[in-house]
Formats: sequence, C-alpha cells, structure tokens
Amino acid sequence: MLSFFKSRWFRIGFILFVVSVGSSSAGLVPEAEIETREAVQTAKETPKPTAKEIVQIFQRELLDVMKQGEALGFHGRYTQLEKPILNSHDLTKVVRIVMGKKWRGLTAQQKTSLSEVFSRLSISAYAVNFKVFSGESFVYLSENETARGGVIVHTLLKRPEDKDVKFDYMLKKKGEHWRIINIIANGVSDLALKRSEYTSLLKRKGFESLIAKINEKIDNYAKQ
Amino acid sequence: MFIVSQKKAMSSFFVMLMIAISLLLSGCAGNKAIEADPELIELSEADPYEELNRDIFAFNAKVDEHFAQPISQAYLWVTPQLLRTGVANFFSNLNDINVVLNDVMQGKMQQSVADTGRFLVNTTVGLGGLFDVAAELGLGKHEEDFAQTLAVWGVPQGPYLVFPILGPMTSRGIPGTVFDTAANPASYVGFPVQLLQMLNARANAEGALQFIDEAALDPYVFTRESFLQHRNFLVTDGNSEITDDVLLMEDDFYDDEEILSAVPAQEAAASGYKLILSSENENFGQAAELFDGATSSFDRAVDSFEEAARKIEKLQ
Repeated sequence: MLSFFKSRWFRIGFILFVVSVGSSSAGLVPEAEIETREAVQTAKETPKPTAKEIVQIFQRELLDVMKQGEALGFHGRYTQLEKPILNSHDLTKVVRIVMGKKWRGLTAQQKTSLSEVFSRLSISAYAVNFKVFSGESFVYLSENETARGGVIVHTLLKRPEDKDVKFDYMLKKKGEHWRIINIIANGVSDLALKRSEYTSLLKRKGFESLIAKINEKIDNYAKQ
Repeated sequence: MFIVSQKKAMSSFFVMLMIAISLLLSGCAGNKAIEADPELIELSEADPYEELNRDIFAFNAKVDEHFAQPISQAYLWVTPQLLRTGVANFFSNLNDINVVLNDVMQGKMQQSVADTGRFLVNTTVGLGGLFDVAAELGLGKHEEDFAQTLAVWGVPQGPYLVFPILGPMTSRGIPGTVFDTAANPASYVGFPVQLLQMLNARANAEGALQFIDEAALDPYVFTRESFLQHRNFLVTDGNSEITDDVLLMEDDFYDDEEILSAVPAQEAAASGYKLILSSENENFGQAAELFDGATSSFDRAVDSFEEAARKIEKLQ
C-alpha cells in the first residue's frame, strides 16, 4: 500500500481526477446563457473547434489559472475556471452516467439539486488542485475514434521535476459541439471512479446523505 | 539468452508455487460471489469481501491517524526534502534489482538492459542510489513487480483484499509481494532499515493521502477503484483501452434516453483490447511466445544501452 501511495502517479492521478470532477461540474444556471453566446459566435465563424482543440483550449486556460493561482485565491480561481469548464465539458451527461440506472429513480427536483452540487464540487475541485504553477505543460500525443462517434484525445502532462502523467480525454458531441465526458489519468478513469463512489454511497446511505456529503466536500474546498 | 534461461530456472519453482497460491485464492473468491445478492455482485465483482475489507480499512485508517501520521509528521518536521528524496531514491534503487528480474520474466529484454544500466549508474555515479542520475540520462524508472509478471503470465487478478497495516492488494498481489520482498536486498538488512523505508514512504505519501481525504466521498471505494485501475494500467504498460468502459456505462444512459446505438457496447469493448498479452487472457502459452519474441528486442536493447553509455561519456 505504501509503495502505491508513494508513487507520484497517485498524486497526479488524483489531480487529474479532480480535474475531471471539475469538468463535470459546470453549473446548470449559466449553461443556457453560454450556449446562446456560443451560438452567436459560431454563426459568425463557421469552423467549430475540433475535439483536440476543445481539449487544448481548456488545458491552456487551466495553466493560465495555475500561473496566477496564488494571487487569485480560491474564489478567484473558481470564478475564472467556471466558464472554461462549462465550455469544454458536458457535465449534465457526466452526472447521468455517474448515477447510471439510479438516475431514473430520482425525482425532477433531486436531479436538479444533484446536478447543481455536482457542478459546484467539480469546479471547486479544480480550483483547489490547480492553484500552483511549477513549469507544467501539456503535450498533445494522438487521438482516435471510439464506437458511437466518440473521440479520445491522448495528452501528456509534463512536469519539470517529476514523471510525466498520461491524460486521456474522452469527448462526445453535444449537438454540434465536442464536449469532454471523461478524463483518464495514468489509467484511472474519473467517470468509473465516481460512478463506483456515488452508486455505493447511494446504496449504503441514501440520496440525502449523498447530497450532504458532496456539500461537505465543497465547504471543505472553499476553506482552503 | 543464457542469462534469461538461468534466471528463469532459478525462479521457476518459486514461481509455480506462487501461481498455485494465487489460483487457489482466486478460486475461493469465486465461490463466495455466487452466494451473494445479485445487486451486490454488480457493484463489487472484484470485491466479494467488501464488508470485511471495509472493517480492516477503517482499522488501518485509525492506526494511521493515531500512529503513522503523527510519527510521519515529526519525521517531515525534522528532515529536509533533499534528505527524504535521497532516502526514497536509495530504496528505489535497491528495488530496481527486482524491476530487472521482472523485466526479464515478462520478456521485456530491452527494458531489462536499460534498467540494469539504470541500477549500475545510480549505484556508482549516483552514490549508492542516493541520487537518481540515470533519470537525467534518459533511463527513467520503470514500475515492474512480480504481481504484474503473474498478470502477464495469465494469472487472474483474484479478489480485492485489504490487509491490516499493509493496505490494499489483490490475491495475485500476495505471491507478488512475497517475491518482491525476497528479491529486495533491503529486506535482509534488519528491521530499523525497513522501518526507515516505511516511514519515508508514508511521509512522501502525505500529499496523496490528503488528496483522498479531500476528494473522496467514500474513501474506501475511492481507494479501491483507483488502486485496481492503476494496477491494470501498470500491467498493460499504459495500453489498456480503459476508455471503452464508458461505452458500457453509457448503456444505462442510452436506455434512459431510448437512443440505442447500432453498435452493441460489449462488442465495442471487446474490440478495445488490442494487447496480445493481457491479464484477461488466461493462457500460460503466452510466456513461451513471449520469450521467442524477446530475442529481437534484445538487439534493440543493446542499441539503447550503447546510447546511454554515450550519454554517460558526454557527462563525464
């Protein structure tokens, strides 16, 4: 166990995990607003970003926030990351996949409150875990198509004093736009990890406890 | 090839014993799972002993909280980062002997030569392993262990287990750990040395453990899933098509939406495994094919070793 935790990938994997959490959490409220803005923009410029470009734009924005991380503080980073996350991730779809068959059993109100806290948790996690910059950079490796029209973009996080971390992004089209639905860091799938956690918690403790637990995590993040 | 066969012969009895134990343990787990509640099977196919594991996990957390963490904090307080890195490098260097053995047993000849070079460079130029000079020369650390070798040979993973103090493991990891311990010189030096190794490892894991604490809704499930997924990543050397699991997960989503794709998810997932060597494929004959293929990679290994030697000369 110690050697497992000792390994650097573990920390990085978790950072990635957090990133993916963040990706899944782009709030519900601003989404409609952003979509309309996007619609206006895309009407002018015909070519829409490819899956690769969506990933690269997001990674650039993430590195930017890291560079000014300490000056921004938690709330500054949260605000600055919110839009890039919402513009690159399909959080609504992520929550539904995370909940699996259980999603159908939820009431409309439960779905709304879960999606809302999930978004806040995801952005908070990004804001906490990407607060310092120490020379990191992302390198694009390759991409390949999956069944059902998905694309996987393979990238590498280069760290000056540490081993590289493999970051694979899975994207699907939401309407005409490519959106990230999963991030796999050194083989650890955020979606699979969350799905296990959420369904297990739901089964053991029930829906209210799940929401309470997510809120507890958000509060803890905000304290940092 | 002579070296290969000699090492192979040396460890063959031990290896067969380990495989037998591993198979035995995975067999036990299978029986247990059948009796369980169908919904539980869906959730914890790899973890049939979840309730017991959770208890041990909770016990380990207590031990860490009251014992390991305070000592580790004190250690972090009195030692500079440079020293902790040096200690970690020293033990990592001793571990490289085991890495080389497992490279060979998995037929990764090129990598075994590189790792031998790495060990020699770090032991000499790196002052007994305190400095990881080899990484600067392009001979980075590889993570190989006997549990991965067993996986490559087709031994199934077996159930997920949590051991008191030692933490998460699969039944395949038990013979794996026994072998790795036997192949590590640090195991024969005496308890204080092992204590230092554990303490230093715990101290360096502080950030990761804190991360779990912050991020996990259910630390037990979080640890289990990330452990199993990362082990699979190591076994397949990062080539596993884990991304296809999304397709299976999406099934629920699409059922919900009543948008069914023409491509069945299982079919898509099956096509994702492109590896010839896979832990999923329980075929012991793989090992033989593997050693045949090793000869060609041996030539490339020699090239890479010469390349490293040139870099060392440049350094001097």
